Amino acid sequence: MFNLLRKTLRERRFFILGWSLGLGFLGFAMTTFFTSFSGGQIDELLSSLPPALQGLVGNLQDWKQLPGYIGSQVFDIRLPIFASILSILLAVGLTVGEEDKGQLRTLVALPISRRKIIMAKWLTIVIICLVATLGTIVGIELGILVIGETLDQMVLVRLGLFTWLLITSLATLIFAIGSATGKRGLTTGIGIIVAIGSFLLTTFAQSVRWLKDYEWLSFLHYFPAADIAKGTVEWGNVIFYLVLIAISLIIAFIFFPRRDIKAA
Amino acid sequence: MIHPSVIEVKNISKVYAGVAAVDAVSFTVEPGDIVGFVGLNGAGKSTTINMLLGFLKPTQGEVHLFGEQVTLPNAAKGHQKIGFATGDMALFEGMTGKQYLKFVARSYKKSTATTTYENLVARFEPQLDKKINELSRGNKQKIALIAAFMCDPELVILDEPSSGLDPLMQQHFLDLVREESQKGTTIFMSSHYLNEVIDVCSRILLIKNGKLVKNIKASELQIGAGKLVRVITKVQVSPPKTAELVELEKQADGYVLQFLYKDKAIRLQEWLGTLPNLQDVTISDHTAEAAFEDLYDVQEVKNV
Repeated sequence: MFNLLRKTLRERRFFILGWSLGLGFLGFAMTTFFTSFSGGQIDELLSSLPPALQGLVGNLQDWKQLPGYIGSQVFDIRLPIFASILSILLAVGLTVGEEDKGQLRTLVALPISRRKIIMAKWLTIVIICLVATLGTIVGIELGILVIGETLDQMVLVRLGLFTWLLITSLATLIFAIGSATGKRGLTTGIGIIVAIGSFLLTTFAQSVRWLKDYEWLSFLHYFPAADIAKGTVEWGNVIFYLVLIAISLIIAFIFFPRRDIKAA
Repeated sequence: MIHPSVIEVKNISKVYAGVAAVDAVSFTVEPGDIVGFVGLNGAGKSTTINMLLGFLKPTQGEVHLFGEQVTLPNAAKGHQKIGFATGDMALFEGMTGKQYLKFVARSYKKSTATTTYENLVARFEPQLDKKINELSRGNKQKIALIAAFMCDPELVILDEPSSGLDPLMQQHFLDLVREESQKGTTIFMSSHYLNEVIDVCSRILLIKNGKLVKNIKASELQIGAGKLVRVITKVQVSPPKTAELVELEKQADGYVLQFLYKDKAIRLQEWLGTLPNLQDVTISDHTAEAAFEDLYDVQEVKNV
């Protein structure tokens, strides 16, 4: 299995590098913008916005302190969007992408059990999500250095671990659908619906009253980054993502070994 | 102790949207056999091979390899003894040929530091240090064939293995198949090239529209090929009793009689001796392709 894991990681080394650098740059850039937002003028500007629009930019008080700013402006909105794209691309590529190219058939022809293939690919997801999260954290740390601020390291540890869990669980869900069905349209479609739907639900639920009743359906509902930055960790949220990962993996382990593999 | 057949296919079918791609196919392959699996495009060759290897689940029927029933979840167990290559194998493109072959060897819990590997590399001369996505189809094919044979498998399953190879490499491939046969390796190969199949295979399976229509020894196909006899006589004559596909035409210089002859040569010689005013005789090989076409017209035949 480690032979396959090494091969899968090696094949995606530029993907890993690109995403880590990209998310690292996002973290760095957003952190360096903190000094521009923490002044008083931005308060006046934001408080002049209608309440519905204020919901879209988050809690105004979060902007004034670095932990709140990092939580609400990096991890709460932007990072999940990019991380969702990463999750979709990674999970689709590892499943239906390889199957459509015929490479999955080449792999299944070797004496490697289908369960080991699932395990190796899922570990690839876990590792890539971890590296991408670390890239973001490094970027933020560099940003903090540049602006000359200080931040309790536990804030980034908590946010980093939660982000890792969020990306891994979304990628595992899409991975399970791809592994179980082998259908590109279905896999990509569900991935996009979950990612965009969650973003819209969570963002607009603060402004659109009737959406609030459905906000729990959002994947991001369980990732209250601003609260996590302030030190509040709801263990129910952690359990939600862990259970989702477990269920997704069980689906992949049950269905992938029993379904036909397409030739290219 | 009775050794099980290497491949035992029992009445397998694969149905897609109500259409049978493979329809109630049964056959066995014994240790050391080299079996050619022949049919036109879409006849069901690749689907059958995909079921043998556990890529596809038969809609009905069973596949046994080395006495063990193949199911999708357990197929990998049997793959330890099997090498596999196709003419359009999707290799892992980001790797070099050398990295790919090392990866395959490790998957078999073996290494590339073997005489078998060295001999295969010397035979096919692949470009091992180039990335696979930079290689031509023929060079990718060489790597796929090396991967199929390098771990000393007991059974090699090949789907159109020589398509993409130049004639010289095709010859190297056929030499390899013959050598493997002498070592006792069982080989099951589908091919479009009938001459290639006749050249190396001990048995031929013909599949048409998903049904197995013939399961014969390769030598029977060669005998089946027979001789094409063309005689020109001044007067009209009757062909030998065993002649097939008889055609008679009256031309300016006499009667042209053409037929396919599969009987003993001495009888043909005797018949020729009885012909009055014989003007000309031409005897040529009835090609394997022509024999294949004849056989392909045969409807479903009970398996041997």
